[in-house]
Amino acid sequence: MEPLTNKAFQKERRVAPALAGSALIVVVLALLPLTMAAAPLLNVQSAIGLALFACATNLLIGYGGLVSFGQGAFFGIGSYVVALAWLHLHASFWISLVCAPIVGGVVALAVGLLALRTRRLYFALLTLAVSQLFYVVVQQQETFTGGANGVFGPMVPSFLVNPANGYWFTLAVVVVGLLVLWHITRSPFGMTLRAIRENRERAEALGVNVFRHQLLAFVISGAFCALAGVLFVVYDQSTNPNLFNWTESGYPIFMAVLGGQFTFLGPALGALIYEQARDVLLASFTDSQLVFGLVLLVIVLAAPDGVAGLLGRGGRVLAGRWRAIAPARLGGLPGDQADGADNPADEAGQHETVAH
Amino acid sequence: MSAQPLLDVRGLTKVFGGFAAVSEVDLAVRPGTIHSVIGPNGAGKTTLFRLLTGTHRPTSGTIRFDGRDMGGALPHAVSRRGLAQSFQITNVFPRLTVHESVQVAVLARHRRTWNLVSARQDTVSAEATELLSEVGLAAVADAQARTLSHGDQRILEVALALATRPRLLLLDEPTAGMSPAETGRMVSLVTGLAEARGLTVVLSEHDMDIVFGISDEVTVMHRGSVISRGTPAEVQQDPQVAEVYLGGEQ
Amino acid sequence: MSQYLITFLSALTDASSLFVAAAGLTLVFGALRIINIAHGSFYAFGAFGVTTVVGAAAGGWRFWLALVAVPLAVAALGGVTEVTVLRRVYSKDHLAQLVVTYALFLIFGDIALRVWGDAARSVPVPSILGGSVTIGAGQFPVYDLFAIGVAIAVGLGLWALLQRTALGWRIRAAVEDRELLASGGTNVPLLFTTVFVIGTLLAGLAGALAAPLESVSPGLDSSIIISAFIVSVIGGLGSIAGAAIGAVIIALFNTAGVLWAPSWEPAFIYLAMIAVLALRPWGLLGTAER
Repeated sequence: MEPLTNKAFQKERRVAPALAGSALIVVVLALLPLTMAAAPLLNVQSAIGLALFACATNLLIGYGGLVSFGQGAFFGIGSYVVALAWLHLHASFWISLVCAPIVGGVVALAVGLLALRTRRLYFALLTLAVSQLFYVVVQQQETFTGGANGVFGPMVPSFLVNPANGYWFTLAVVVVGLLVLWHITRSPFGMTLRAIRENRERAEALGVNVFRHQLLAFVISGAFCALAGVLFVVYDQSTNPNLFNWTESGYPIFMAVLGGQFTFLGPALGALIYEQARDVLLASFTDSQLVFGLVLLVIVLAAPDGVAGLLGRGGRVLAGRWRAIAPARLGGLPGDQADGADNPADEAGQHETVAH
Repeated sequence: MSAQPLLDVRGLTKVFGGFAAVSEVDLAVRPGTIHSVIGPNGAGKTTLFRLLTGTHRPTSGTIRFDGRDMGGALPHAVSRRGLAQSFQITNVFPRLTVHESVQVAVLARHRRTWNLVSARQDTVSAEATELLSEVGLAAVADAQARTLSHGDQRILEVALALATRPRLLLLDEPTAGMSPAETGRMVSLVTGLAEARGLTVVLSEHDMDIVFGISDEVTVMHRGSVISRGTPAEVQQDPQVAEVYLGGEQ
Repeated sequence: MSQYLITFLSALTDASSLFVAAAGLTLVFGALRIINIAHGSFYAFGAFGVTTVVGAAAGGWRFWLALVAVPLAVAALGGVTEVTVLRRVYSKDHLAQLVVTYALFLIFGDIALRVWGDAARSVPVPSILGGSVTIGAGQFPVYDLFAIGVAIAVGLGLWALLQRTALGWRIRAAVEDRELLASGGTNVPLLFTTVFVIGTLLAGLAGALAAPLESVSPGLDSSIIISAFIVSVIGGLGSIAGAAIGAVIIALFNTAGVLWAPSWEPAFIYLAMIAVLALRPWGLLGTAER
């Protein structure tokens, strides 16, 4: 049993520093309202909410290999559940908070049943069409949805309107959401999902019902994207149909690619970078789209692992220097997973540490 | 050895748009034996295997496995009934580690792929490790599958198939593209497994030394039909086989 | 009676530039297996380019110059894009390809905004093609007839190219049977560039053709790419004839919808696209099983 415990132990040791690093980041984020003014704090709040959106989308894209161009639909659904429940039913925000992910999951089930039988390229187009369908329908049904102007009003409880409270609430929900998602990626289901991504036919040949597993992933992603939509309402105190537009559905994908699709927190990093960069660019000149497009091109062509991948590689280079001194491996970037995210340059290192 | 064949194929035919890739094929494989299917390229061996694993539906004929009719069953159902395959083209999970790959196979067998909750799967992990030791891949357990040598990947293929604890293992050209050393390793692995686990093996091969060295029975195919079957000695002496296939040294 | 004819012809006018644009998109998809989101940008460049060349003058010759020169310029841009950027992503996965073409869409959109600003522009119809023709009891603009004529000419030209030339044979091989192409000793990278240039030329031409018909403003790239997607999907990705049929169907749908059920009309189109993708993804005339 020696090799097994050793290996398991080593894997746990890699996770511990990653968790510690993440916890540190959360603490730092939690302290921000004490030092930051309301406006920049709101930006960080938005970024945190988008981080959940991006990570939930990445469950499909990075872990599942399913490129959905329509996760914006679920984001929009989440926000509209809150808005319309307030508008028509005068429902409590807290009830909507619970219902929104459920509605998102149910809609995802319906869409998934329809969409997951098609090949990958068609799947992307189909989900794009679903997103657009919601976009036009929500705009058309003015009496019910408020039409192109969206819905405004005190739909968020007053104590959450306070910037610090709204911020902490968002942070809390996102931390819990990300922990759940992270746990799912590390579960047997998560591993199976990755296997399906790597080789669908082989997974099928092993007895895995690929369609149903992908459907579950789609439902989970839809539910968490809807939750992120609720957080948008807390941020914006309103909602509007543009959330459903296909161009908006592109953003979580790009955040995932930018930050790194192959690590769990990569998309969160991408969301943070994107939000901050956008503000900086908007302040200095109006060409945020140009820069964003160029950055995406560079990432896809030169650094497909995203920013997290770059940092991870840098971290491992440093860790490699340490290995000569200390036998245990250090973790790389917080959230840098031990499973399958490594690049070939690391293989030598891995062979070294496996006890036999 | 019992008389009832584990795999009983009668009159199996598959027609692709007017072209019969497999035509009226009979095959009887007794449990615990190693059965080779040989024939020139285009003889229909791969199509036959795809019919057995459920990737293709038969145009006509029957496939009975362990007494049960398998006609038209889908691949994942076929796998569940105990018939596993390793692919001709290496077909692994490139970015999963070797250990993870086998774990997925074990999870699938235990039907635990739906588990969203537990991160630790000690029994599954232990079973995977044990299997890797058995096939000789323990040293590379934490390497990504895409970094393995060709021979190691083929062995991983076999390990994946084994993890589902099949009763019958289909190996489509298991030694294709391997060096002599790797080939030797694969051969002793296959024969060792057959003995140790009482596994029934059906394989297609081009290497005649292997075929006649380890098989209990040989079936010869040509242009979709079976032209000869029997023990290696019988087949080697069959003039039809010599004419069509073995005539002229390769 | 003539009212119906005029309505029908109106729909055909819409279908014309839509067909030319979709033909380019579907050709590129069929041969290169890439869904080019930036195709919409090339269309927009075509339209905006015409507004620049023609300016405010209604002089006829400028328009003819624009109609020829602008699509060629756009095609050249397409060629450069293919060689510098797209070649590197053919071997990558679908996500990478989608991200790259969308990144190009963002970049081109931004460039268009810088060059042409965000005001809507219009292009006067050249005087030769001005005025209208009497059809029965109604009137129909001459330019619209011209647009329909150009679309038909493009359709015939593409048919001739694909069915009667060596290049066309190679393109069809790329669409239908890739292995055949590789074994024939064709210079595949050059072929891909050529197809992409043709596709971009069509996008630019479609935009140029449409410039006098509608107001040219930012957002054109986004709206046309959606319409072109829908048409290509319904007609069948990779099929020119399918693009023609799809364009007519969508245009008729749009016209009928606007007349009879304006509130639900946009939703119908997307429902149709979803239905096709879910049930028969290769559309009306595409090749089954990609």
